[in-house]
Amino acid sequence: MSEQEIEKELSSYLNVYRVSLDTAKRSIVKKHGGNPAGLAVGINRTIRDLVPGEQSVNLLVRIVSVNEKDVTVEGATKRILYGILGDPTASVPFTAWEPLGVTLAKGDVVRVQNAYTKEYRGQVQVSFGVRTTVSKEKPDALPEYKPGPGSGIGRPYVGKPTPVTVADLREGASNVEVTARVLSVETREVEVDGAKKAVYSGVLADGTGKSQFSAWKDFGLKEGEAVKIEGAYVKAWRGIPQLSFDDRATVTRLQPDALPPAEKVSESPRMWIEDLADRGGGVDVTIRGILIDLREGSGLVYRCPECRRVLRKGACRIHGEVKGNADLRVKAVLDDGSGAVTAVFDRELTEALLDKTMDACIAQAKDAMSVDVVRDELADILVAQPIEARGNVTSDDYGLMMIVDQAKLLHVDVQTEAREMLETLEASE
Amino acid sequence: MMREVAWRLFAGEYNDATLEVNGGGERAPSYLVTPLGARVNRMFVVGVITDVENVGTEMQPMWRARVQDPTGTFHLYAGQYQPEAAAALSKLQPPVFGAIVGKSRVYSPEAGTTYVSIRPERVKTVDAALRDYWILETCRSLRRRIEAMEEAQRMDPLTKEGLVQLGVKEAIAEGIVQAAGHYGKADLSRYTAMLAEGLRYLLPEFRDGRAPDAAAAEDAASRPPEPVREPEDDSETKVLEIVAALDKDGKGAPWDGILEAAKAKGVGREQLEEAINGLLDKGLLYEPVLGRMKKI
Repeated sequence: MSEQEIEKELSSYLNVYRVSLDTAKRSIVKKHGGNPAGLAVGINRTIRDLVPGEQSVNLLVRIVSVNEKDVTVEGATKRILYGILGDPTASVPFTAWEPLGVTLAKGDVVRVQNAYTKEYRGQVQVSFGVRTTVSKEKPDALPEYKPGPGSGIGRPYVGKPTPVTVADLREGASNVEVTARVLSVETREVEVDGAKKAVYSGVLADGTGKSQFSAWKDFGLKEGEAVKIEGAYVKAWRGIPQLSFDDRATVTRLQPDALPPAEKVSESPRMWIEDLADRGGGVDVTIRGILIDLREGSGLVYRCPECRRVLRKGACRIHGEVKGNADLRVKAVLDDGSGAVTAVFDRELTEALLDKTMDACIAQAKDAMSVDVVRDELADILVAQPIEARGNVTSDDYGLMMIVDQAKLLHVDVQTEAREMLETLEASE
Repeated sequence: MMREVAWRLFAGEYNDATLEVNGGGERAPSYLVTPLGARVNRMFVVGVITDVENVGTEMQPMWRARVQDPTGTFHLYAGQYQPEAAAALSKLQPPVFGAIVGKSRVYSPEAGTTYVSIRPERVKTVDAALRDYWILETCRSLRRRIEAMEEAQRMDPLTKEGLVQLGVKEAIAEGIVQAAGHYGKADLSRYTAMLAEGLRYLLPEFRDGRAPDAAAAEDAASRPPEPVREPEDDSETKVLEIVAALDKDGKGAPWDGILEAAKAKGVGREQLEEAINGLLDKGLLYEPVLGRMKKI
C-alpha cells in the first residue's frame, strides 16, 4: 500500500475519530496485518526535529561513531561515552553520562528511551542520563547510514522550514525560514576547533525587527539585497536572538521589490518591554517609557585607566588604587508599565540631557566637594520623565539592559489619543 | 532576579483590592492582586498630592499623604525606612502634582478588613502635563486588563494556559486566574465606567469644574482612622538593633544568635521572620552569606 493511503488513514484516525497518535499508529499497523508491539513504547522522534531542552526523548538511531573519555565531575573522575547518532533525517552528537549496560559499537542500531537534549555551541546534543535506557535492535531496523559530503554533522535539513518574522525569532529554534533584506555584511575570520574559518556576518531586517546574522558558508550575500533563507537556526548573544546558517541552508535571491526598501525596513521598531523580555533582547529597538529611578553609579564617575571599571573609593577592583579618568553616565530604570530595563546613557547623551559639559560637572563637583551634586541634578531632570529611547537591548540574570543610542524627551498629544480611545470605547458599548 | 514592573493603575482599582499573594519561597516578593488581575508589587502614580501630615512623632516622623487621581485617592505612608521619600514629602506644599514610585502595602487589622496603601520609594513634584500623560497610560493599561478579563469570563474552565494561548502574557494570566478565584466574577461595567471617566478627565469638552480636592475631602471623611504606625515597625527596630549588636566581626550576625536575642526581647520566631523579610524588602538588611544578616 502507498504512503498516501497510510497518511489518509492516519489523518482520519486523528482528525475524524480523534484518537491519540499512538492508538492510531497501533490500529493501522494491526489492521494491515502488522505487529503493533514492534512500535515499542512511546513515539519515536526523528533527530531532525529535536530542539534543545527536551526532557524525554525516544529515538531509533544508528551509532555513527562512539568514543570513551575520562572527565572530572565534581572532583571525581568519570568515564563517559561520546559520539554521533544518526537516523535517516540527520545526525547529532551524543554523550552518555552513566554506564549503559550494553556495549556500543559503530554501526549498531539502538533504541534510546528517556534521553534529553541540550544546546552546545549552537547545536542540539542528546544526553543519556540515569533515566535513559538503551537497547540494541536488529541492524536492518534502520537503513544504512551514509555520511554526506564532509563531516557527518551538518547534513541538509529534511522537512519544510518554518517561516518566521525577525521579531518572532527565539533562541534554540532550528530550520526556520526568514525573508529579509541584508542591511550590512562583512567577512571575519574566526578559529573553530583550531581551524581558521570565514564567517559572513552582518545585520538583516524584515520590517518587524532587525537581527544580527552569521553565515558559515559564502552565500555571496550583498548589502541591500532581499533574500529568503531556508534552514537557518537561532542562537543568542547576551540574550538577543540572532540568525545563523550554514551549508544546510538554502539562500534564494528575491526581486528587489519583494520587501520594502532598506530605509523602511531599517527603521527601529517600537517594542514593549514585556515582549523584549520574552525574546531576551533586541537589536536597535525603540522603547517609550518613564525613567522612574536612577541607579547607583550615575553621574560623574572615575574609571580605571587599565580596564575602564568604575572606581569605588578611588580603587579599582582589579588594579587597586589608581588615578581614574573622569566619565559621565546615567544608569536609569526605564519602565513602560509592561516591564523595566536598565537604560545606560553614555557621556555624550548625558551631557546633552544635562545641557552641560563634563568639565563643567567636574568644576561643579569640586565646588561642592562631592560628586553627588551631579547625580542629584540628573535625578531632578530625569526622574519621572517620559522618554523615547533607541538602542540594543541585552539580557542576563539581572534583567534587561539597554545601551541607549538615541534618546529624546517624549511629548504626546494626550487629548487626541484620549479622544480616540473614548470613541472606540463608546462605539463598542 | 528581574526588577518588578511599576504598574500604572487608578486609585479606584487599587483600593478595590483585598487579595495579597506571596510569590512563594523565602524572600519572594508579595503582590496585591486587583479584581482585574493586576499583580502589583511596585507602582507608579501621578496625581494631586492634597495633604501631607506627620502622624508620627517629632523624633520618629511618619508622613502620610493623600494623592488624588480622577477615580479616587491613594494613601501614602513614609517613615524612617523611606528616608528619601519622607524627606521629599516633608518639604511639599500641597496641593501639588506629584509623581510617586512605591510598593504596594496591605494592612489587615482584623479578618475581613483590608486597607491598602503605598510605601513610597521616590516622590517628586511634577507638572500637569505629566499627570495627563500618566492618566492616558493608565487608561491604556486598564483597557488591556478589562479586555483580558472579558476573554477570561468567556472561558470555561478558566486556566492560565488557556489565557496564554489566547496571547495573554503569563504574568497577567496568572493574576487573572488568582483574581477570579478570590473575587468571583468581576463587575466589568464598573471598570469600563472608570476607564471612560479617566479619558473624559483629559478632554476639555467634558470638564465640569469639579475640583479634585473636593472629592479628596469627601473620601477622607468617610475613611476610618489609620493606625499611626504599622505594628511590625517595632519588632523591625528591635531586630535591627540585634543585628547591629551581634555583627562583631563585620561578617554579619549569625541567624541562631539573632533568634535567641530576639526571643529575649519578646520577638517570636514568626514575628522575627516577618520583620527580617520586611527589613530585607526595605533594603535595610542583607544576607552577605547564607544564614548571616548584616545592616546596610
